[in-house]
Amino acid sequence: MRRLNWLPVAAVAAIAIVALATPLLPLPDPLAMDIAGRLAPPSRAHWLGQDQYGRDVLSRLLWGSRVSLGVAVLACGAAVALGTALGLAGGFLGRLAELLALRSMDIVLCFPPLLLALLVVTLLGPGAATLVPLLALLYLPGFVRVVYAGVLSVRSQDYAEAMRALGATRLRIMTRTILPNIGGPILVQFSLTMASAIVLESGLSFLGLGVVPPAPSWGLMIGAARSTMAQAPLLLLWPCLALSLTILAMNALCDALRDAVDPQRAPRPAGLRGTLAPHAPSLAPDGDALLALRGLTVEIDTPAGAIRPVRDVSLRLSPGETLALVGESGSGKSLTGLAAMGLLPPAARVVAGDIRVDGRDLRRLDETALRRLRGTAMAMVFQDPLSSLNPVHRIGAQIGEAVRAHHRLPARAVRERAVGLLRRVGIPDPERRARSFAHELSGGMRQRAMIAMAIANDPRLLIADEPTTALDTTVQAQILELISGLKRQGGMAILFITHSLPVVAEIADTLAVMYAGEIVEQGAAAALFARPLHPYTAALLASVPGEDGALPRSIPGTVPAPHDLPPGCRFAPRCAHRRDACEAAHPPLAPVGDDRLTRCIRWRDFAGTRPSAETAA
Amino acid sequence: MAWAIRRVGLSILLIWIAASIVFLAIRLVPGDPAELLMAQGGAPADPGAVAALHTQLGLDRPMAAQYVDSFRRLLHGDLGESLQDGTPVAGEIMRRLPRTLELIGTAAAIALLIGVPAGLAAALRRGGAFDRASSAVSTLGLATPIFVIGTLIVLIFAQLLRWVPAGGYVPLAQAPLRHFGLLLMPACAIAFGLASTMFRMTRTAVLDVSQRDYVRTARAKGVARRRVLIHHVLRNALMPVVTVLALQLGTLLGGTVLVEYVFNYPGLSGMLVDAVNARDYPEVEGIVLVISILFVTLNLAVDLLYAALDPRVRQG
Repeated sequence: MRRLNWLPVAAVAAIAIVALATPLLPLPDPLAMDIAGRLAPPSRAHWLGQDQYGRDVLSRLLWGSRVSLGVAVLACGAAVALGTALGLAGGFLGRLAELLALRSMDIVLCFPPLLLALLVVTLLGPGAATLVPLLALLYLPGFVRVVYAGVLSVRSQDYAEAMRALGATRLRIMTRTILPNIGGPILVQFSLTMASAIVLESGLSFLGLGVVPPAPSWGLMIGAARSTMAQAPLLLLWPCLALSLTILAMNALCDALRDAVDPQRAPRPAGLRGTLAPHAPSLAPDGDALLALRGLTVEIDTPAGAIRPVRDVSLRLSPGETLALVGESGSGKSLTGLAAMGLLPPAARVVAGDIRVDGRDLRRLDETALRRLRGTAMAMVFQDPLSSLNPVHRIGAQIGEAVRAHHRLPARAVRERAVGLLRRVGIPDPERRARSFAHELSGGMRQRAMIAMAIANDPRLLIADEPTTALDTTVQAQILELISGLKRQGGMAILFITHSLPVVAEIADTLAVMYAGEIVEQGAAAALFARPLHPYTAALLASVPGEDGALPRSIPGTVPAPHDLPPGCRFAPRCAHRRDACEAAHPPLAPVGDDRLTRCIRWRDFAGTRPSAETAA
Repeated sequence: MAWAIRRVGLSILLIWIAASIVFLAIRLVPGDPAELLMAQGGAPADPGAVAALHTQLGLDRPMAAQYVDSFRRLLHGDLGESLQDGTPVAGEIMRRLPRTLELIGTAAAIALLIGVPAGLAAALRRGGAFDRASSAVSTLGLATPIFVIGTLIVLIFAQLLRWVPAGGYVPLAQAPLRHFGLLLMPACAIAFGLASTMFRMTRTAVLDVSQRDYVRTARAKGVARRRVLIHHVLRNALMPVVTVLALQLGTLLGGTVLVEYVFNYPGLSGMLVDAVNARDYPEVEGIVLVISILFVTLNLAVDLLYAALDPRVRQG
């Protein structure tokens, strides 16, 4: 549960206290008439004036709050009790109970609420005695559904299963595990319903079909003041204000409760804006490099302060080359890929360094220029193809959109191109698949479609962010085969982002290993696999089953949080080879031999231990 | 397709259940409707008059026969005669229903035209001045009951400023300008709350959809910002907005009662309040039934529309 905003809670509590304390206050009788003081303006004896019968407005307002809130509390309380019972019964007592509890609610829902209220008032006559059961009935379906949905989700969870396995009775499971868990949603529904009940009660009273005069009620007061609004407009204002402020407080309480109960509703940084600010002096062009990152540093503002999940990352990728960027989750590899597309999330920004694609400095380009490069100079394939495809557009249309974003072509030509692309990525029956929606394809086919979309305009650089992680092992191999096939066909450079070294063993020319936001080792793939010069690379290699049947060894501990990095070597706390010197100072990424870089100060000592020996140890 | 047929079947079933409930409610609730009606003066009812009314309403016949009979008449569009003046209930409903629908339609159009663009604009500049101002206004719109807004509109624009008459109705054919002038006030009273809801929903949905992976995919393809916004963000964000709008419209089918009362607008709901006050059972029964049918049909239309908007629904 997130932190609760206490302001609306205090406001609602204040209203409730005033309503409860009204009989104790030295107020005039709300029913005492005084014809001489008819429509009198506010005075010392009557702070808010007197109504058309000379009754004290303040007193009626406060006594009215008791009526409005009382009716709402009683009705909602009854609806909660009955709704919880029905919802629990529907969720626990088998299909028949489920059918009866839920379907009977559908019947209540086939009348608009106010209409049902009017029907009932016609039959039973107005008055609080009618209002309470009526409102309870109207709000019953909401509670039944909330409880039922809660039961369904909790019932399937491990602890309910565990209790059942331990032999707990149904009733016990219900009271001990489920009720506390659905308490939050019920509370939210209760505050929502309270506000709604107050509105409905006042509306019915306003029509003369709710609370019966002369009892004070806000709805009745508004209704009565209407006839004298020309002479005494203030009479209209007070009950309107009281009613609106009460509902305002209830709504705010509801929002606060919902935010606290449902983490998904927590405010997130959002928006479509988020281009890189064009600034910083640019360095000399990087020769023939297709992608050149130099000292890339990305900063994200968090409630706990700014963090830098990517620090001083430099990479260079030539045409036709495949570079694998490897690291655990949270190492900053995906953000690096997104930065190279100019697609960092809104909260993140590049604070230092240089991003060049095909010689162009992305940080100096505006959004329009970036847009022209995306899809043509560089394209990206994402991890989860289902969430990355738009659910409401057909596959062919989404691929066609990539074509049309950069070429003016007739619709027919676009369609043909999309089908051709689907064929190129090995999708059988591409004409039919082009008309499918994402949810109608298998995981492997979706990822093929994503790749087709990425290569639609023959980009020179393809960034693949964990393209096989969400797929089955056999499908993984097929997708890898497809990507290496594309690599052989043309001089496309590929930045392959993954957490798994074996995945890229076949495909990568060079490797860069990232840990906690920085590169710890870099070099030719074959050399790195044969002889890692950083303990983290060695540990990554040892963490997968070896071809010689060696058992995988997991790396102890976790990646440090970006706001809590160790002072020296970031990997030191998890490293089996650490010395005091490792924790003394942050080691630089140093060249060691032919095109190799490592951030380990002990690489010479460490180089002696082969990964196989490491695994066997 | 099978899904759509099942959904239509369910709606017909719901309408039948609703009609049965209305039928039973009037006959099973303690107290004889005829006696209640005749005894309103406080004096006991005249047995002869009660018996006559029983015959008129068919209450002297067996329940099952009444039930079959009322459904047979219902299928022919016959809802019986008003107890107040003996005119056919169906005719009066048909005369007033279009006015209520016009009112709801106008209010919905105003709410959509204001709420959706405002919600989109607020989401795109989240935390900006417009976002904060419009969010505050919508909070107010959500917290003010429809009859309070209506009454305040009358107080301010009719009573204090004297810009417009306090309410009423003129047929379109008689004076088109005046017709729309009179329509606008109640429509605005409804639209204030409705637009606030639309605004909230649009803003939340746009913020949510903007974060989705497929929006990032569209941007990665190099699709222009405006197209990303319309084809990917708004297209997906509209689904929850449409659902909520339809639910709200359904509530309004009964909820215009208050606005029609405040603005003295002779719609269907006003007729219902009069009928309730006069205990005119055939009228109440007829109106409740017609509105329930509209309500269920509207919910059906929403489900079908939702299926048209979201291909994933068609499977389930």
